[in-house]
Amino acid sequence: MAESSRAVDAADVAKVGTPGPVITDLEETASASARPADHEVSLESLNQWQLAWRRFRKHRLAVIGAFAFLFMVTMAIVGPILWPYSATHIPGVTTPGGDPPTLSPIHNLFGTDFGGRSVLQFVVVGSRISIAVGVFTAIIATTIGVTVGAVAGYFGGWIDGLLMRFVDLILAIPFLFVVLVAARFFGGGDVVSLILIFGLLSWAGLARLVRAMFLSLREAEFVQAARAVGVGDVRIAFRHILPNALGPVVVSATLIMASAIVLEAFVSFLNFGIRATDVSWGNALSNSKGYLLQGNWWWPFFPGMALAITVIAVNFMGDGLRDALDPRSKE
Amino acid sequence: MAKYIVRRTLGLIPLLIGIVLLSFVLMKMAPGGPQAQFNQNNRVTEEQIDRWLKRWCLERNAGPLGVAREFGGWAGIWNCDTESFLSQQGGLNFLPPQLGGGDNGLIHGDLGFSIDQGRPVVDMIAERVPATLLLTTAALFLWVSVAVLLGVIAAVRRYSIFDQVVTFFSYVFYSLPTFWLGLMFIFLFAVAFRILPPQGITTPRTWPPFGTERYWGEFGEKPLQAIVDIARHLVLPVTVLVLVNIAADSRFVRASMLDALSQDFVRTARAKGLPGRTVVMKHAFRNAMLPVVTNVALELPFLFGGAVVTETIFSWPGMGLLFITGVGSRDYFLLMGLLLITSLLILFFNLLADVLYAVVDPRIRYD
Repeated sequence: MAESSRAVDAADVAKVGTPGPVITDLEETASASARPADHEVSLESLNQWQLAWRRFRKHRLAVIGAFAFLFMVTMAIVGPILWPYSATHIPGVTTPGGDPPTLSPIHNLFGTDFGGRSVLQFVVVGSRISIAVGVFTAIIATTIGVTVGAVAGYFGGWIDGLLMRFVDLILAIPFLFVVLVAARFFGGGDVVSLILIFGLLSWAGLARLVRAMFLSLREAEFVQAARAVGVGDVRIAFRHILPNALGPVVVSATLIMASAIVLEAFVSFLNFGIRATDVSWGNALSNSKGYLLQGNWWWPFFPGMALAITVIAVNFMGDGLRDALDPRSKE
Repeated sequence: MAKYIVRRTLGLIPLLIGIVLLSFVLMKMAPGGPQAQFNQNNRVTEEQIDRWLKRWCLERNAGPLGVAREFGGWAGIWNCDTESFLSQQGGLNFLPPQLGGGDNGLIHGDLGFSIDQGRPVVDMIAERVPATLLLTTAALFLWVSVAVLLGVIAAVRRYSIFDQVVTFFSYVFYSLPTFWLGLMFIFLFAVAFRILPPQGITTPRTWPPFGTERYWGEFGEKPLQAIVDIARHLVLPVTVLVLVNIAADSRFVRASMLDALSQDFVRTARAKGLPGRTVVMKHAFRNAMLPVVTNVALELPFLFGGAVVTETIFSWPGMGLLFITGVGSRDYFLLMGLLLITSLLILFFNLLADVLYAVVDPRIRYD
């Protein structure tokens, strides 16, 4: 998407800035360089994404983080399907034609809770809700943040003033306060409403960032060129300016995702989040807190470990993306 | 400068009103209400519920106007007994009682009554302030000094093994969920090794509840034991707070120090032959601390508003835990009181950070 918009940029600028003859000149030079030369020069053209990927690969921790995150996402998608037992399954109680024989090594790999339910199951099945909350919160918050920031930064004037005062207001309210109050008062144990609450409350910082990018890019020459050939406002905002602000936006999206995953766990840990019968990492931790003092460390340890690994992976990934998507770095 | 402070302070007033109004409306928009606790009780009549709600200046199924009246009652503009803007004395309600006004609401210095406990919110918060202050100041001094030390060394020896180790661990601790870290610490030090108490601020069997008069009485009798007891309880929550915050702040100090070290005046200082230590400590360090001071000032309000997560995990009887209990019992006025205080702190420390920045850095001038 970004690549094609870059092509449009180039075409727009070319139409305005470079008259015909120059282009033929360029074509001639190009065909000249295609002739067999004295020594071989291998030319490799890379687009923005290939360059970014090349830079990202050099960041070892970021690559490890990306793989760990991909693993978690895969687990969240296929894990609950492959897991042979139902969420409420208790060994010794077999439902007719239902669960396979219990006490298999998989079932007991991470130990069981006081009811005999597998802790590994909490890790595998619980990943779905935890990862989904992170991913969808990031999507919602990024969409709102980018739209609000783009509109405010591009149009300016009273729209900007109004939107930014609202952003100030949201950023001034203690975040944990609104999130916990909203989750407790509006959540009702529903995953979707939890995602909506998180998404609707975490876009303000991103909006401010995008607005700043738009303010500086609005007057850039390629935007003026696009405007001169009559490109519409929406197209300029989203196809010409936004791809240039992609780096910071992607990085904040990963940060929002990481914090949403932790937040879900904490909110569910306090029993203000998803309902107790659903399986998520936060719920597993919440159920375990009463038994920790009796020495049942494995019950909170493994779901918490999964949570920690996911968040560390996402943060490392974000760090790598920050370097990779920065158009000024030229390595 | 004075002009700048006044202008900023005036600008904060509409923001504060916005915060308070928005949160109040948000809470009132949620389905259900405090009267839900009577749902299961057949012997409570509708009339009794209405009378009970009126005691808190609340209305059942309040529409927009009803919410406005409730908010007015909390703020002190509306009088719930006379159901008008006038007080029982006949004057406008927002005036002080001496001028014929009422005595309810924020304007008259009343943060409202807790619906859950029926006590003034001010008292409930005041009880919790010492515990929060103790925890946060202890943590603050430790983490700021360690973070500065680590950050400066990491910056001076950039890309050394030390730098890489600090970087790696700060990433890990920054990413670890605080509450899970707390749980694991409780298990390790209180359950497995049994060297520290798991939760709370005092040992419940030997001491009366913290903050009560009886407690302070016994505190006066054997202060040494009391202090040792609190200190032992303090170790785990402070460690968690310190670890997590060192992670974030040492990165900040390192970046700031690197920035300072690459400045021209540092090169000049080196060029004229000053010893490395002098250049680092006198020239770079002092300049690198400017953004750090502001950053710490911005972190403070969240600490004094209660380290919510840490206090919850360790059952530390501070404002953060009070807030969690308030959310659990849907205690509107307790929550509003806590929100007001936290927001005030945040806005105040934001202003302070800006002013402090100009004070410590003579290059910056407002107005």
